[in-house]
Amino acid sequence: MVAAALGLLLAVTAGVVWEGGTPVSPLRHLYLVPVAWAALSGGARAGGFLGLMAGFFQVPLVLPAIERAGLTGAAVDGLVSLAMPPAVGVLAGLLRDQSRARARRLAALLQIEQCLAREGPLPVRLDAVAGVVRRGLNAARVGVLVGASAEAPALGSAPPGATLTPRSAAAWSLVTGRAVRSPDLAMDARFTLPGPPAPAPLRGLILPMDAGAGPVGVLALEWRGEVATGTAAAAAEIALHLALGVENARLTLRQRRFAEELEDKVAAATRRLREIDQAKSEFLSVVSHELRTPLTALEGFAELLLTRAVPPERAARFLRHIHVEARRLGRIVAELLDLSRLEVGVAPDLKREPLELAAHVERQIELFAGVHPAHRFRWAPEGALPTLRADRDAVDRVLQNLLSNAVKYSPRGGEVRVTARAGADGLVELRVEDQGVGIPAGELPRIFDKYVRIANRETASVRGLGLGLSLVRALVEAHGGRVEVESELGKGSVFRVILPV
Amino acid sequence: MDLLTAPFEVDRHRRFAPVVGALCVAGALMLGGVVGGQWLVRQGGLGRELGLAVEGTAIHGGFIAQGLIISLAGRPGGATIALRMAAGLFAAFLLGHLLPWGSLAFLLIPPLLVHECRGHPTLRRIGFLSPVRPACLLVGLGVGAFLGGHLLVTSSLTFGYAISVVSVAAYTSAVAYDVGANALSAEWLFRGALFSHWWRHWGFWGAVTVSTAFTLVRYLLDPALPQAPEARAGAIVYLAALALGAAALRAWSGSLVPGYLAAIAFFAAYRTLVVW
Repeated sequence: MVAAALGLLLAVTAGVVWEGGTPVSPLRHLYLVPVAWAALSGGARAGGFLGLMAGFFQVPLVLPAIERAGLTGAAVDGLVSLAMPPAVGVLAGLLRDQSRARARRLAALLQIEQCLAREGPLPVRLDAVAGVVRRGLNAARVGVLVGASAEAPALGSAPPGATLTPRSAAAWSLVTGRAVRSPDLAMDARFTLPGPPAPAPLRGLILPMDAGAGPVGVLALEWRGEVATGTAAAAAEIALHLALGVENARLTLRQRRFAEELEDKVAAATRRLREIDQAKSEFLSVVSHELRTPLTALEGFAELLLTRAVPPERAARFLRHIHVEARRLGRIVAELLDLSRLEVGVAPDLKREPLELAAHVERQIELFAGVHPAHRFRWAPEGALPTLRADRDAVDRVLQNLLSNAVKYSPRGGEVRVTARAGADGLVELRVEDQGVGIPAGELPRIFDKYVRIANRETASVRGLGLGLSLVRALVEAHGGRVEVESELGKGSVFRVILPV
Repeated sequence: MDLLTAPFEVDRHRRFAPVVGALCVAGALMLGGVVGGQWLVRQGGLGRELGLAVEGTAIHGGFIAQGLIISLAGRPGGATIALRMAAGLFAAFLLGHLLPWGSLAFLLIPPLLVHECRGHPTLRRIGFLSPVRPACLLVGLGVGAFLGGHLLVTSSLTFGYAISVVSVAAYTSAVAYDVGANALSAEWLFRGALFSHWWRHWGFWGAVTVSTAFTLVRYLLDPALPQAPEARAGAIVYLAALALGAAALRAWSGSLVPGYLAAIAFFAAYRTLVVW
């Protein structure tokens, strides 16, 4: 293009000379054509060069005229014509360069957004971003680092494959959040460059990428030779845009992770609800069975007493059966009532009173041992036990549930050991140990949940509502205590009830 | 990428004292040489030839020494090179004044400079011995030839100066002087050391402005420049254009050689102009 414009310039000069070679030749205006063409095609450098050449071509026409006739109007006109092409070439070229640079920067900003929004590993996306920045700012080398520390930031570069060392300027800028500017790295005492310096200066600029919420990384740029005016401002604009882009990408990623977590939680909750629903169905079936058994007995014995003449001793036995079944029915109803209270989140109603724990536990064990002669019960308090302020009935039910479970899940002849000791921290620990089937480790976290009954071939025949342990926990927590369990499959379980004095 | 890998110490600063001191010493020696040369010239006889040689050596050797001091930036070895170059220049000046074709000895000065400086890779920073494309050399010659041709056309058309080679020996001697002293020392100092140094710190236009100003001062102070006002005005225009072109060539090609060739071509044309 420059060669063609130069040829055109020579043609114009030939035309001016042919036309008479005067400084005011009408053809002199044609000098502006190749100059403007060069400026609009090649920018300020080409325009300035062509303008200068046009000026040089006019000098031998203008200066002799001044020499011959002095500074006449025609000579001044010629001087203006001489000065116009360089001025037009430089100005038009500068305007063209600026508009091109602006368009390139805008395109770069759009491409940066596209690169950051892509799927894929961050370093690959940053490589693409560095390539876009390199083209947009006409840089020799570009590095984009994203991360809060210099230890392991994500790095993209153009040309690709650059590495980061901890003592470098980019690492320093990443840590301190400060910019680094160097007109020439080779002559800058702060840098130690390997090998002899190159003939052209190596300009360097490192800008922290900060959109207001703290630096998210740095943008490192190197230029060989000249840097166009306004490039530093454009680099700052791109660094800001990169910071916004990185923040947006991080937010998007965070949102995606949050949505995934939410999805997992919803799936887990749905699964749990299904389990509860299934447990409730099983519970209703068990409740029906549990209620039907004492009711059938009550109905049968009552009908016998009503329809037949029963001798007094048999009638008394029937009435004892009715009494036992009625109590059993009452216990089931009480548990159902407690359940309904737990369902609505109401703590059990306690009537606290002084309770001699040692004597109370011993009495309960004696009563339980009378009813369950197939098991061995052992009460072994460790030292003196204090007087508790507790609900007698609630403590009874806690003990009964734990002892009942120990009996249910222990083989005949198995030992149930109950111990208690007072701690120095104002707490009392009550332990119920059995030698039963034990509880699988995976089931331990939900053993105190409502309706939970551990599926086990050995205990499939054991009847229950799956409410006992949840009631135990509710009653103990209502006293300000806690209940814990340790278990080993095939060896037995230990339930520890810790109550405040 | 150096910003990512090169060791960086934020508090380290360059020391200028050794360079400034050496420049002052070189300037003093240069001035002493000129004064001493003038004194010898005034003695007449062989002393005149000797004095002119001392004077020329002081000026061009001084330029080369100052360029070395700036370019080597305190690294050792510059003094030895400067002394050897001064010896070479003194011999060439003396031969040029004593023998009709003695100035051809100036043609040995550029190879001598290359020989002396080949062990200093740091001089690549000024574009010395850095690789250069043949096209750049042609463009350099073209720039110099264009400016020289333009000078001839304008001078002859405008001011009526004649274009002539009066004596082949004198013309050849003048061109040899340009090759081995005038253009060489000017490019070495003004484009090589000063422009390259300021280009790194201020950018192209700042560096080219100041280095061109120094070039103009050097030639306007040269008693060999014709004293006619139009000649001095023309010298300012053409030397400024030549300096601008040489600086642009230095920046574009990364080498001093295209600008040096431009200067040689320009002065080769200038030597055909009968200005006295």
